[in-house]
Amino acid sequence: MDSTIAQKTWELENNILAVEAPDPSSDFIFYYDEVAQAMSLKAKPWANDPHFFKRVKISALALLKMVIHARSGGTIEVMGLMIGKTDGDAIIVMDAFALPVEGTETRVNAQADAYEYMVDYSQTNKQAGRLENVVGWYHSHPGYGCWLSGIDVSTQMLNQQFQEPFLAVVIDPTRTVSSGKVDIGAFRTYPEGYKPTDDPISEYQTIPLNKIEDFGVHCKQYYALNISYFKSSLDCHLLDLLWNKYWVNTLSSSPLLGNGDYVAGQLSDLAEKLEQAENHLTHSRIGPLGTSRKKEESHLGKITRDSSKITVEQAHGLMSQVIKDILFNSVRQSK
Amino acid sequence: MASSSSSGLTFKLHPLVIVNISDHYTRVKSQLSLPPSLTSTSSAATSNNNNNNSNGGENNQNPPPRVYGCVIGVQRGRTVEIFNSFELIYDPSTRSLDRSFLEKKQELYKKVFPHFYVLGWYSTGSDAHESDMHFHKALMDINESPLYVLLNPAINPAQKDLPVTIYESELHVIDGVPQLIFVRSSYTIETVEAERISVDHVAHLKPSGGSAATQLAAQLTGIHSAIKMLNSRIGVLHQYLVGMQKGDIPCESSLLRQVSSLLRRLPAIESEKFQDDFLMEYNDTLLITYLAMFTNCSSTMNELVDKFNTTYDRHSRRGGRTAFI
Repeated sequence: MDSTIAQKTWELENNILAVEAPDPSSDFIFYYDEVAQAMSLKAKPWANDPHFFKRVKISALALLKMVIHARSGGTIEVMGLMIGKTDGDAIIVMDAFALPVEGTETRVNAQADAYEYMVDYSQTNKQAGRLENVVGWYHSHPGYGCWLSGIDVSTQMLNQQFQEPFLAVVIDPTRTVSSGKVDIGAFRTYPEGYKPTDDPISEYQTIPLNKIEDFGVHCKQYYALNISYFKSSLDCHLLDLLWNKYWVNTLSSSPLLGNGDYVAGQLSDLAEKLEQAENHLTHSRIGPLGTSRKKEESHLGKITRDSSKITVEQAHGLMSQVIKDILFNSVRQSK
Repeated sequence: MASSSSSGLTFKLHPLVIVNISDHYTRVKSQLSLPPSLTSTSSAATSNNNNNNSNGGENNQNPPPRVYGCVIGVQRGRTVEIFNSFELIYDPSTRSLDRSFLEKKQELYKKVFPHFYVLGWYSTGSDAHESDMHFHKALMDINESPLYVLLNPAINPAQKDLPVTIYESELHVIDGVPQLIFVRSSYTIETVEAERISVDHVAHLKPSGGSAATQLAAQLTGIHSAIKMLNSRIGVLHQYLVGMQKGDIPCESSLLRQVSSLLRRLPAIESEKFQDDFLMEYNDTLLITYLAMFTNCSSTMNELVDKFNTTYDRHSRRGGRTAFI
């Protein structure tokens, strides 16, 4: 079919690494080997190396559940736990479930309430045949990007002391819907006082002005892990078939209409940042000092990148609207 | 046993349920069949052999296990929307359903999703069996007319349709004895935007980030495949109509009526208000693009001015315009 040819060409041009091919041997990832898990829990190779875990593999089911839960919260932060296992330097997330707590600034306390729910849920899961353990927590940052706030960092450091191995995942459902691709990040904190030897270059993302301080103060205390996804052969098959029913939704989705508020918020935030940058520029006008020049450049440079990102998303949304208009509104009688 | 349903309910199924059931099945299946080597990564030869063995006959010893679970969702009027599902413990040999487990799970899910309630149950297999009726009846005290969602886990590459069927139960009088039998119902797939994006993400593995060119390519590829599907579907209809015109296919007026009503719905919207709103949206996007270009320009200008100032440093000892050494 033409769409598969187009997809393959595009994948080739962009060096997409195909995920494990959907043959039954890849389903072995679903097998829970209790002996091996117990052995690695005893050995604790992560205790000596703060940078031990480098990769995260998330199952299709876990991703779906987390994104849907995050989106259902609207503008309120929601959180939940992830179940899985470890595999060498990778943490594998098999499933996720939501916790009945609402996100507030005092989320550390809320976690205590959720323990009973977590214990009940884990017990019922083990009975039903899901043998893995809780391996991390996820929460949503609706509209302000995937990073760990100050409270998140302290919660995660606590978790990493007592509940190893533990992973923190952040999802932004608003940006997911607006940009059309899943906005997710996986993090692990460094223990107190540990200085990372090299600064890993993380992907740039725009942070709204009211959160940028919180981001800046703590951004050196944790590192991001690479995320990859996996699905079983049956999942592959079902998802392919699902596309036969899905194409209607792809065509009919209108991201512009759904995200008008978010875009307006982004633009006003950008305006504030511009004002700030202008203040910086006027203050250090005399004699460009080496370091301050770099800061101004990167201020304005960042703002430029933000504005182009917003524009690109808007343009994409408008493109689909125009295409739909051409398809369904301009009807001509052909001979 | 399965004729078409007459209850008139419309069913909407979310993809999360399908992925849930498939995951449950894969887990149970992989726990039962031991991977060839546990300690080290097995050599390709042995693993392939074992795979072929387990796939060819689909049974090392036993047929693929059946998994059971509960589906939850909302029913509003005539529309039943199935959102989520969870596993249940059921022993087919003794036909006993673990009630306490079911209740516990229900409680847990009620806390997080207060609007959902039990709509029915699911299982895997190729067809609905008589024995399934027992499970069905067991659930009847929670929901008077539960649904039965059946997923066929056999991977058939030639298959075009989703191997998921929804059955309802109806009271029919057979041979003078009133019996409950399963009747098949049709359903549609319903999704929210976030669900669609994550399913898309996992199914087609689009790259996250990357330059604007790759993002554009990704967006357009998606729309292109959707339009391709639309085109092929319309092609099918067109062939059918041509065949009817030629006389190869007997005329069916109900279908013709549907096609003509579909055609009459185009153009979709033609009011003036729509045009106004559409143009306003268009103008807004153009404005944003203009703004972004402006910001880009001013940032470049700023850099230029800075570089100029560095090159012609007025505060240097030599003073005036000298070459920067």
